[in-house]
Amino acid sequence: MSTVLAGLGLTKKYGSTIALHGVDVKVGVRESLAIMGPSGSGKSTLLHTLAGVVRPDGGEVLLHHERIDNLGENRLSELRRKRFGFVFQFGQLLPELPAEENIALPLMLDGMPRGRAVSLARRWFAPLGLDGLEKRRPGQLSGGQAQRVAIARALVVQPDVVFADEPTGALDQGTGEEVVRLLTSVTREQGASLVMVTHDPDVAAHCDRVLQVRDGRITGHHQCTVMP
Amino acid sequence: MSSPVPQLTWFLARRSGRRGLHSQLLAVGAAAVGSLILLVLTAACFGSGARAHDTAWRIPAPDRHGTAVQTVGTTYLGDRPVTVVSLAQLPGRKATPAPPGLTGFPKPGQVYVSPALAGLLHSTPANQLADRFPKVSSYGTIGDAGLAAPEELVAVVGRAASDPAVSTAAEPLGMFAQFGGLTARAVVSGFDGSDVSVFTSPDKPAVSMGVAIVAVPVIVLAAAAGRLGAARREQRLAALRLAGATPRQILAMTGLESGVVGAAGALVGALAYCLLLPALAEIPFGIGTWYTGRLWVGLPWLLAIVVFVAALIAVSAMLTLRQVAISPLGVAQQANPRRTRFIRLLLFVAVLLYIYVTTSSGGAGSRQLLVMLLMFYGAFWLLGPWVVDRLGRITARFARRPATLLAARRLSDDPRGSWRTVSGLVLAGFVAGFFTVGNVGIDSYRFPGQVAVPTTSTAAARTATTEARTLLHAAGVKATVFMSDGDDDGLVSGTPGVVVHVSGGTSELDTTITALQNLVPGQLPYTQDYANAESEAFTGRLGELGAAALVVSFLVATASAGLTAAANVLDRRRVYALLRLAGTPLKLLDRARFRETVLPLVVLAGGTTAAGIYAAFQVNKLFDSTISTSGAVTLAGCVTVGALAMFAAIGASRPLLRAVTEDAARTAD
Repeated sequence: MSTVLAGLGLTKKYGSTIALHGVDVKVGVRESLAIMGPSGSGKSTLLHTLAGVVRPDGGEVLLHHERIDNLGENRLSELRRKRFGFVFQFGQLLPELPAEENIALPLMLDGMPRGRAVSLARRWFAPLGLDGLEKRRPGQLSGGQAQRVAIARALVVQPDVVFADEPTGALDQGTGEEVVRLLTSVTREQGASLVMVTHDPDVAAHCDRVLQVRDGRITGHHQCTVMP
Repeated sequence: MSSPVPQLTWFLARRSGRRGLHSQLLAVGAAAVGSLILLVLTAACFGSGARAHDTAWRIPAPDRHGTAVQTVGTTYLGDRPVTVVSLAQLPGRKATPAPPGLTGFPKPGQVYVSPALAGLLHSTPANQLADRFPKVSSYGTIGDAGLAAPEELVAVVGRAASDPAVSTAAEPLGMFAQFGGLTARAVVSGFDGSDVSVFTSPDKPAVSMGVAIVAVPVIVLAAAAGRLGAARREQRLAALRLAGATPRQILAMTGLESGVVGAAGALVGALAYCLLLPALAEIPFGIGTWYTGRLWVGLPWLLAIVVFVAALIAVSAMLTLRQVAISPLGVAQQANPRRTRFIRLLLFVAVLLYIYVTTSSGGAGSRQLLVMLLMFYGAFWLLGPWVVDRLGRITARFARRPATLLAARRLSDDPRGSWRTVSGLVLAGFVAGFFTVGNVGIDSYRFPGQVAVPTTSTAAARTATTEARTLLHAAGVKATVFMSDGDDDGLVSGTPGVVVHVSGGTSELDTTITALQNLVPGQLPYTQDYANAESEAFTGRLGELGAAALVVSFLVATASAGLTAAANVLDRRRVYALLRLAGTPLKLLDRARFRETVLPLVVLAGGTTAAGIYAAFQVNKLFDSTISTSGAVTLAGCVTVGALAMFAAIGASRPLLRAVTEDAARTAD
């Protein structure tokens, strides 16, 4: 499996706290990787470092073998917008925009005319089980529905990698299960890789591979046998 | 058992962290600006009344059993009026008290002048000014108590009762002398009359009108302080309800916290007012700047305004929370956009029609006019959110760029909130547009280069004409002297007199006035400025009112826009942070924030200002006068500076936006 994203020897300090301690991680094309660990273990810092949100103090991040951690802020923002997708625990949708415009927003940010962007966004509703919810605002959606809209928004730009930070953290177990199944399957169908932070082993089990992080170091990893 | 509310409120306020502190500081800022402006408005209202009252002693209050004769006349140096009060103690009557600002009743031959006039007496050639008064070795000084403004030009001349300047010869003559107490004569027993000078009489009505125009937006700004940090409070509500707090306890805590924050802000505003008093006194209005003491509202009013602002903020916060309490989830998640209904437009039209019908029939009293003004406000208050909502929907339909789409959706999502940000300017726009550009006035008299002296009879006029030629020749003034029988529409009207056409500028006119000072005993020479004094004072004040309303409105709008922008950043910090994390450029978020304010501002405030200018244009046509050029320049200047200030105020929260959007990654683990 060829590598789409790699972090090599990543270190990151916040004051005297070491968040990452020379971490090496590779993500293959269409691979889904779960990062697990207790609170404060450095798992979200690792995700943000791989996503170009946080600059590492040491080491490097490579996307398709090209270094990205030394790019300028504007170039990094553009990279995150065009090549990456993001799904968070909650609150990433703009409350005043209807679902279809929330999904179309990243396309519009890249200069796509609004009509075309919304039309492309609408294509995501049926596959994600959101039919009929196009005009609903985030506040009028259930937690699960809102997360599915967020998944569509992350994937609409056809990213290389989707980063998900506790995507099921605010959902009940059943809905969370459903959302993570959808996230992993649709991401794979779209040809994208997935890097997901979670503390829930059942959620992590939906990924191809699981990394265990503790005190800024990788303490273990394993391939998952239970596939969605 | 004592209530746990105060202790719990204090505990939670201390634990609210940086985010809570930001919101509270913003609320303090809004309360401070609100109370400062309310105090300044109150000071202007009281000050203008006190200032007008300070001129009342100069208008003689007739008393048949009086002890002195008092005359008042008005002469001009250039276009500046000089009020000349002549006083003569009647023989055999008891002593008359000293007029305000004087140490004693002036003896014959004594001349007291205001400090500003004393300055001019030194700097102006004697044949243009000093020779208008009896020659004295030194002038007495009129103290502040006898003056309305430091720049006022006033002279008090002591005369003998037999002096023609105070005799019946000094009774007002002609049509122009009847205007607003410019000239008067009476036997008096003191100086406690209630008629005020024509130069200060329009001040208080103009200020009251200005206060009525801008008070509502200022109150709205102060009330907005109570809504700051609504999102944080909503979260607290949810958490406290889960922890078992009753809705009443939550309301009490909210009221207490926002009341204390509001009181702190209002006190800051009150302190700023006290410190700024000397600077505020330097702002000219009407006859000039102010004596600082006249702008002091007094401790009871100061405290009343502080309490009012604090209470307003507390009530506003509790009302916002009550709305949340009714449907906490709905409000917190903005599930239901706050729609506005078409009925608002119908009500707006109905109110305007009612006002039109009522005012066109004429005869509306001042109370009725105030009710109309409040109805006018109310009508706009109804219509504003509806227009913002429609504006948002229409813009959203045609928006091509994400920033415009975001701004438009925000507008239609919370049209009332967006309206509140711009309402002050929208409402003031019409008034400011109307009063600054309008040149409404009673027809002004145009007699440039002329000086007139009224006489009691045609024979006296004939004699005075000959004498005037001699006097002017001796003074070296080139002029043509005519006798007027007072029947024509000239500068002498309603009585015979002398009219002098002076070739040359202002100094020639001043020399002419000075030379003719004693031409007709008791009658001061005058120019067109005298004839127009009343209408000039009225129209001048209206123009200043428009400019002042515009300046205050922009201050309020700037504060309102800045505070709302900062509060919005704090309330929406999570969504902004996640958007930026996902690669949305900060510039785009910033642009959306700007458009959110600029769109309604341009459409609504621009629209009402244009409507005000149009109305002024129509009224000007009715009065056959032209647009006030200086007013138009003031309006354009205020609009430009005000708009830039507003953008700067919104831009001031950009570092805050940058900071909160960087927080998400920093606090990831």
